[in-house]
Amino acid sequence: MAGRGKLIAVIGDEDTVTGFLLGGIGELNKNRKPNFLVVEKDTSITEIEETFKSFLARSDIAIILINQFIAEMIRHAIDAHMQSIPAVLEIPSKEHPYDASKDSILRRAKGMFSAEDFR
Amino acid sequence: MGVLREEESCLLLDEKLLYFMDQLELLEEKRKTLNSLIEQGWFSISKARYSMGNKQVSALQFANEMEPLVSVHVRTLENDVVEFCAERLSPKCNDKFVKEPTPIEDIGPQEEGIRRRKTTKSDPAEKKTSEDKSSEKCPEVNPGRKRDHNPQQDPLKWFGILVPQSLKQAQSSFKQVIELSAEIAALQIVVLNARQELKRDLRNNDGSTGPEANTSAGLNEKEAVVPSANESS
Repeated sequence: MAGRGKLIAVIGDEDTVTGFLLGGIGELNKNRKPNFLVVEKDTSITEIEETFKSFLARSDIAIILINQFIAEMIRHAIDAHMQSIPAVLEIPSKEHPYDASKDSILRRAKGMFSAEDFR
Repeated sequence: MGVLREEESCLLLDEKLLYFMDQLELLEEKRKTLNSLIEQGWFSISKARYSMGNKQVSALQFANEMEPLVSVHVRTLENDVVEFCAERLSPKCNDKFVKEPTPIEDIGPQEEGIRRRKTTKSDPAEKKTSEDKSSEKCPEVNPGRKRDHNPQQDPLKWFGILVPQSLKQAQSSFKQVIELSAEIAALQIVVLNARQELKRDLRNNDGSTGPEANTSAGLNEKEAVVPSANESS
């Protein structure tokens, strides 16, 4: 168990998940829940949030990749996650390019600067 | 002496700020590379979909069972620095499923030469042995079918045996994305830790210089702040 690595989870649209599964990160068997979620038009925000929280609760996931437009839907859950592991990476989607101003991590990093710091 | 200490602490703060900025810049660069690789991957998938058909490259093709070929090793170092290392495993042919390599199927007459329309009468024993051989060949086909359900196979095989080059290019792009993701995850943690350390040091610096009276010219701005704080108290 010590030598066994952790997984990369992905929450995204069909093309994003297909691409990452092609890359070889997918896990799916009868015993465990999959480490990916394909978000379609009819996927509810509750389901996305529950899946995200389940990935956070799992000890065998090191990185969670999530399309930024999906991250916007559950922004409160992502902002509440302050731990280093699993790391949450926001990635662009086909219809929504990456916006650094919306990224939780970069907002936390850049938000430190205020007028008082430069006095 | 107090002035020297303050100068040293300011220099230290400047160094930490520069380190933070450098790491942030590196993070932004890696992000750009990641985003462009992802876009390249989508483009290749779209090309593959165009040549193979809409439903041939979709979630419908995902295997029922799959095992990950990439694992991430996480190490927590000193100063809360976390290292992510993505390791790729080669897809295995599971021994349970494949015992013998399937022979290449011969299509056509087994015997060379002119096909005999009139079969010669042979011994029944010989016929039985030939029938046994043919029946032995049948189970060899089944391991080939079982091999399709090997959970650790190359995901390209979900989409067929002969896949277009664009799908292989998509796979190659996303493999690079996965490796970069591990680096970016580590960088994010470094950036956040640097930010927290800087903020803490700024607070400590403000706390230590607040009540002291400074005489150096370089700290005139803070001198203006200190008398006002004293007046209010």
